[in-house]
Amino acid sequence: MRGALYGYRSVAIKELLHLQRDRLTVVMALLLPVIQLSLYGFAIDFDVRHIRTMAVDLDRSRESRAYLDTLRNTQYLDIAGYLATPEEAEEKMRRGECRVAVIIPPDFARRVGTREPQTVRVLIDGSDSQVALRARMAFLRPSASAPGVAEARFNVMYNPQMRTPTFMIPGLIGVLMQIVTVSLTSFSLVREREQGTLEQLMVSPVGRLGLMLGKLTPYAFLAMLEMGAVLLIGNLAFDVQVAGSLVTLFLLTIPFVIASLAMGLLISTVAQNQAQALQFTLLTMMPSILLSGFIFPRETMPGFIYLITFAFPVTFYLEILRGVVVRGAGLLDLTPSLLSLLAITAILLALSTLRFRKSLA
Amino acid sequence: MNAGAAANAIELESLTRRFGTLTAVDSLTFSVARGTIFGFLGPNGSGKSTCIRMLCGLLEPTSGTARVNGFDIRREPEQVKRSIGYMSQSFSLYRDLTVSENLDFFGGIYGLRGERMRERKRAVVELVGLESYLDRRAGMLSGGWQQRLALAAALIHEPELIFLDEPTAGIDPVARRELWDLLFELASRGKTLFVTTHYMDEAERCNDIAYIYLSRLMVKGAPMELKALPEVCPEGTRRIAVTSHQPPHALSVLKRQPFSLDATLVEAEVHLLLPETVSDAAVKAVLNDAGLSEGVAVRAIEPSLEDVFVTITRRLASSGKR
Repeated sequence: MRGALYGYRSVAIKELLHLQRDRLTVVMALLLPVIQLSLYGFAIDFDVRHIRTMAVDLDRSRESRAYLDTLRNTQYLDIAGYLATPEEAEEKMRRGECRVAVIIPPDFARRVGTREPQTVRVLIDGSDSQVALRARMAFLRPSASAPGVAEARFNVMYNPQMRTPTFMIPGLIGVLMQIVTVSLTSFSLVREREQGTLEQLMVSPVGRLGLMLGKLTPYAFLAMLEMGAVLLIGNLAFDVQVAGSLVTLFLLTIPFVIASLAMGLLISTVAQNQAQALQFTLLTMMPSILLSGFIFPRETMPGFIYLITFAFPVTFYLEILRGVVVRGAGLLDLTPSLLSLLAITAILLALSTLRFRKSLA
Repeated sequence: MNAGAAANAIELESLTRRFGTLTAVDSLTFSVARGTIFGFLGPNGSGKSTCIRMLCGLLEPTSGTARVNGFDIRREPEQVKRSIGYMSQSFSLYRDLTVSENLDFFGGIYGLRGERMRERKRAVVELVGLESYLDRRAGMLSGGWQQRLALAAALIHEPELIFLDEPTAGIDPVARRELWDLLFELASRGKTLFVTTHYMDEAERCNDIAYIYLSRLMVKGAPMELKALPEVCPEGTRRIAVTSHQPPHALSVLKRQPFSLDATLVEAEVHLLLPETVSDAAVKAVLNDAGLSEGVAVRAIEPSLEDVFVTITRRLASSGKR
């Protein structure tokens, strides 16, 4: 037994010295959980509030306005805008610009005091089943507290059965795709640095952007293949039907894949060795899962965390995935997400090209 | 100015690089003649690598400049890169690619295509003798063969000037000899070779040598010229080699003598720098007193390059500069 423990003290002291020299690791180990706990603690909230809502007030009376105020007072709904027709509301919903639309009929005020019940039509986007459930509660509350108040007729627009897989599988596809693509590239430059091949490349006339894009292209094709595979499994095993066009979905996957690969590339220019590259990659995984809207609705996140969510390509890709797969959104409907992805890609590529220049000097 | 017009392959003019307060390369000025094997020597940390990185267009000088193949390294780093070959000390090709794939890749990034590519590949493979290994993974080659492949890759775009950063570090003596045979072959074809090394026998093989120490150029010249430098053979001194049966003991004895200006052991002989006034007989007498009389022989010798560098380095260190 003595033999097995031999040298324990020296090894422990040596490790302590390593830790003392490697401040970064110690700081990471101590601070990261603290930062992440406070970040995600604020971000994660199933009690969805402030759901983006559009109002179509066809009555334009004092009573209709009062009704909308009661809805707003529940805190569940944010009346983000007023539209003229129900058709406009449906279009906004397909584009993902609102989750709920309240349509107040023209005879809303007239029915006050009559025996005819007041009714409003409520369109709900069922693609996020969490949000959809919460949205319904906003309409149940006022009627319970104030008898005689309008009755809501719900119309769940997409994913009418509010199936969880229909909501989760596209999200899961997005998150998995990001993890694969980021880890694919995050190792590539670091490996060249470790093997000394980077030096050989740098004395050659190869351009920085040529090197970056050349590294991305094959992985992009691999990721697209992966996309086809997971979509097929989603369909066969979980009965997730793509409501929109497959061509649109694949077209919009391309900028996402490039953005994620660019993120991996940036990690690659920051990390000094493969172990660090792995650490950074893991670091991007948590927020991609927790902050992207994959499980927890982004609506509930406080302002500064909401801003962080814009840094991750997967946030916009989830909009695209749920848009095309669940709501049948088209290319035009998703232009904002597409533009955001392109912007992220440009920023990430610029950053990594810059970082790369510095890391050589 | 184009590449062919310059008489010298490399011309440094007060080339300087500082990192913060540290001066890594301190106004180096020298030139490298076309078609020569040029040895670039100096201890680790003396600024050799920084200098090479500047000459290859990887790092901008803080002040001064250099022309490589007629191209200014400040203003035309891309032309510099196109016109040079580079072979580093550690094997820096792709281990998971075959010999042939590595050559295709490096040819490709220098813009070789089609017939020209095939022709160049054939030429470099033949030169280094890699014909039978074309489909072997680079990582599966032995150290010597890996260096041959690295040389082939550095030559694929037919550069007139090749930088070799410790090309023989860590390979066996036979492979080292063969690599040098290749370098001689290249020099005979008019290529300029800029070689760094720590091996003195390799330095002896160069046409010209620059020795840098503490970021500065100490000496430059042909090995013969360096050995004849006055500071290496000061007026009134001579160098002898002393043979004996117990060389380490002899060294220890001779080192302690007041007449010993410098002493070391080379190939079982004590090399000694001493005043001309001390005769061979006096040296033998000292050894005899120490009980070393058997097999003692003394002969006059020329200084070696190692003597040159050691003398110069010590002189600078003892003069208390920096």
